[in-house]
Amino acid sequence: MSAYAGRAESEPDSASASALPAAEAMADFLRRMRVGIEGGLDPMSAAQEAAGELPGTLREVFERVALRLRGEYREDEWGFDEEFAEAVYPAFEFLYEVWWRVEAEGVRNVPAHGRALLVANHAGSLFPFDASMILGAIMKQHPLPRWARFMVLDWAFALPFISTFMRRVGGVPASPHNATRLLEQDELVMAFPEGIKGTGKPFSERYRLQRFGRGGFVEVALRSGAPIVPVAVVGSEEIYPKLGEAKPLARAIGAPFVPVTPTFPWLGLLGLVPLPSKWRIEFCEPVDLSEYGPDAADDRRLLFDLSEKVRETIQEAVYQNLVKRGSAFM
Amino acid sequence: MSAARRVVIVGVASQWGAELARRLERDPSIEYLAGIDSAAPPEGLERTDFIEADIRSAVLSRLLPGTRADTVVHCGVLWYPEPDKPARILHDVNVIGTLQLLAACQRTETLRSLVVRGSAAIYGCEGASPAFFTEEMARTLPLRTRFQRDASELEAYVDNFARRHPAVVCCMLRYQPEIGPGLDAPLARYLSLPVVPTQLGFDPRLQLLHAADATGALEAAARNPVRGAVNVAPTGSISLSRFLRLARRPSLPIPHPLFGPALGRLGSQLGAGPLYGDGVRFLRFGRGVDNRRLRTEISYEPRFDAEGAARDFVTKVAGRRIGPSLHPGDLAGRLAGVGR
Repeated sequence: MSAYAGRAESEPDSASASALPAAEAMADFLRRMRVGIEGGLDPMSAAQEAAGELPGTLREVFERVALRLRGEYREDEWGFDEEFAEAVYPAFEFLYEVWWRVEAEGVRNVPAHGRALLVANHAGSLFPFDASMILGAIMKQHPLPRWARFMVLDWAFALPFISTFMRRVGGVPASPHNATRLLEQDELVMAFPEGIKGTGKPFSERYRLQRFGRGGFVEVALRSGAPIVPVAVVGSEEIYPKLGEAKPLARAIGAPFVPVTPTFPWLGLLGLVPLPSKWRIEFCEPVDLSEYGPDAADDRRLLFDLSEKVRETIQEAVYQNLVKRGSAFM
Repeated sequence: MSAARRVVIVGVASQWGAELARRLERDPSIEYLAGIDSAAPPEGLERTDFIEADIRSAVLSRLLPGTRADTVVHCGVLWYPEPDKPARILHDVNVIGTLQLLAACQRTETLRSLVVRGSAAIYGCEGASPAFFTEEMARTLPLRTRFQRDASELEAYVDNFARRHPAVVCCMLRYQPEIGPGLDAPLARYLSLPVVPTQLGFDPRLQLLHAADATGALEAAARNPVRGAVNVAPTGSISLSRFLRLARRPSLPIPHPLFGPALGRLGSQLGAGPLYGDGVRFLRFGRGVDNRRLRTEISYEPRFDAEGAARDFVTKVAGRRIGPSLHPGDLAGRLAGVGR
């Protein structure tokens, strides 16, 4: 008892000396808990008693954690969990600001509300980060930031952890059914019509856009009456330059392809660190499809024409931004 | 569509068949109500005429025309093995039984509508599947499990019957798995375990239908059948992790290749019983279906959405807890002084 009293007297000095308010509060909490236990309370009630005296901010953290652990949070019908997305956002913010020094242009071409389909080129063999950086540009630079949903290669949804993560931050399996339903709910949807052909192309073919699938994205936009916003991304090709493929490994794990980059798999987990290229993202003028009407979605010729038009817009913008960017890494 | 007057419920001894009979008995506009099953229905049915017959036998073709039924509701499709109905009988009852019933329906000239209580398992569970299946998306993905193939086969027979008898309205209901406080089904038992094994790294989106809505939708479909398939599911979805958090059940993640065998062994010891083949995939990838057809065409609005059904289940089952909760959410909550 006397030892405790001695510590309690010396405590205020050391606490004020520590610059961290959280550490101070924690020390305070433990001290009160100890007083409680020595006063004859059981540990749980003592902790409860001590928590009552915690400063407001720490109490709030406790409350939020408690609500989270009790399942009292929102999650929409797609499994998108806004709280979770906000929690992991700073990691992507770091990549956006520091690692890739992203410059975004024309972000006002993204509608502030209502449905719209963002269509972009796709690259970054090992792990394509382009969706997260486009989202970053909207969240950071748009006057009215909003979350966007994105189409993810469906193989990712057969994998543990990745499937759960993707879904919570707003990814859905790439399927026209999902895209149409999301657009009908007036969401902002990102699609990458090149798909695996875009991410899997060798480094020597960088920034050459591949075929835009079968034009399914135009069909989705026509049916749901959503405008298409073409987006050109520059910098994504250099993060994991694909030099070759590990075909036996890909077959063994059922992956569409496993790239070999200058660092992966040679450096093991370290090889997963993307190279710090310099990025530019340009949001082009929206393509309004309202003049065609939903029935035009059955017109194959029109789908191919519109798809090609969007592809050319993006290709053109990619070349322009490559020139504007200059050196890839500096 | 003329309202149902003479209704025959096949599989009246099952929970859903009996519940439907109970509801239809209260309706004076239904002049005749009969139930067919191999076992006697539960007590409490007053004016339901019980006909004892095995759905797999040809005797059905002699009995059914005699009832002069205008509506037949088939509740005899079995979703999972039960002690008295082992797995190998499932195929017989589901496929051969449905075939016999259709043969009997063919001879019943008074028949105007046929409602089948089928399963959304026909869509399967895949990582790549659309987040919400609509009715025309059946069989777009490979049929992987035995039950999925059976569901597909019996639907094919009903479709075929519907094509050849255009005067009969054939309504195929595709049910998502039900939960309810009093419901004794493998999934409900699994979710009531004190510690719930999950598959490491997977968090399926679930749509679990509240038992009240399961019967409500069946009654609505019997009264107002529409042609073709109709998904029966709550609106929205809930992830398994959130469900377990709401239920304050700690989860025990198991690497997914070991989940099936582990649950087979652990489940029977803990009283949950092993999960049938579909259950393991269901708890890895989940499944969502679109219920717009149910709401607009059958005009049945589910009382509980996916979250509501989970919360109702949780409040009624959590009362049975013994001892203090060891769930981290409760511990943190007590620290913050947030009441239960």
